[in-house]
Amino acid sequence: MKFDLHIHSCLSPCASLEMAPGDIVRRALAAGMGGIAITDHNSAMNAPAMAARAKAAGLACLFGLEVQTAEEAHTLALFDTPEQALAMTEWVYAAMPKRVNDPDTFGDQPILSAESDEDEIADLEWRILAMGCRRTIPETSAKAHELGGLYIAAHIDRPNYSVVSSLGAIPTAPDGTPYFDAVELSRTANEEEWLPKAEGYAVTRSSDAHNLDDVARVWTEADISEFTTAELKRAFAFRLTRLSPRLTRF
Amino acid sequence: MTIKEVAEKVGGKIAVDKPGAEVNFAYASDLLSDVMGHCGDESVLITIQNHLNTIAVCTLAGIEIIVICHDRPVPDDMAAAAAREEVAIITTPLSQFAASIALSSLPPSAK
Repeated sequence: MKFDLHIHSCLSPCASLEMAPGDIVRRALAAGMGGIAITDHNSAMNAPAMAARAKAAGLACLFGLEVQTAEEAHTLALFDTPEQALAMTEWVYAAMPKRVNDPDTFGDQPILSAESDEDEIADLEWRILAMGCRRTIPETSAKAHELGGLYIAAHIDRPNYSVVSSLGAIPTAPDGTPYFDAVELSRTANEEEWLPKAEGYAVTRSSDAHNLDDVARVWTEADISEFTTAELKRAFAFRLTRLSPRLTRF
Repeated sequence: MTIKEVAEKVGGKIAVDKPGAEVNFAYASDLLSDVMGHCGDESVLITIQNHLNTIAVCTLAGIEIIVICHDRPVPDDMAAAAAREEVAIITTPLSQFAASIALSSLPPSAK
């Protein structure tokens, strides 16, 4: 099964407004994905709308958020249900700067309706999702796992907002216990260079799509029976993931 | 201190100009949440954060000029946002510490 575990919806201020859940689902199905994860910056407020669209189209979906931690590292928390992802969101929101988003500076943050059959805007998120929260990687890892989710270090090869660019390496607890269930390579990451740096970790490659053309342009593949966090956890533990070819231009 | 003086002191190149830009304070940090929390307006920010979000933080904090250290490249989207938001960018081969020394006649920025 092929899957893309890092896709932004229109809720992310830096993502295209064309990233409505229904269109993301159609694009992912056309690209042959068996599952996708929606991961907006610091929020899963579009998870209910995504759940409705994915269910209607028969596409398996995980619900998550890309938490920008206090270390200014981007990390993915992924869950089986919108409820878990929204509980994580509430925990992240409690540690976000209390500043109101300026759409002209950062971008729009529409929350879409899960009730309507169309992609209808139900609300606008007022918090600045483009900023980080005060939760650290150890805290965020513990919370994601407590809520039954997976925790993945995003695009570790990128020069900004990755655990490696911010901290110099992939952090572990003092006793060596990993905080992450897997680490993600970006669409252009060179495996020869980056797999050695990810030694000891399961590796994924995901699109980090911010517009429709990028959905599922790269992916991860694993022999899993169903697209759930439990099956992904098993695939990660046994290092069963395979990566799509990288893109040579971003 | 004018933008031209800042560029001269750090031996840098003006990547995005803002004619007439002047600063009265300086702040050095690579953590944008720290910049947002502590840097006041009329400031020059010394950083290696060559990222679009740096511009957004500058508009919130009232930062006039960014000095990007180690000659890190300015991505196109960052340059475009800087031009739009009227934030100047100077690139310098200096480190953050060396650039701070070069601009040490400016008082520290604070909120």
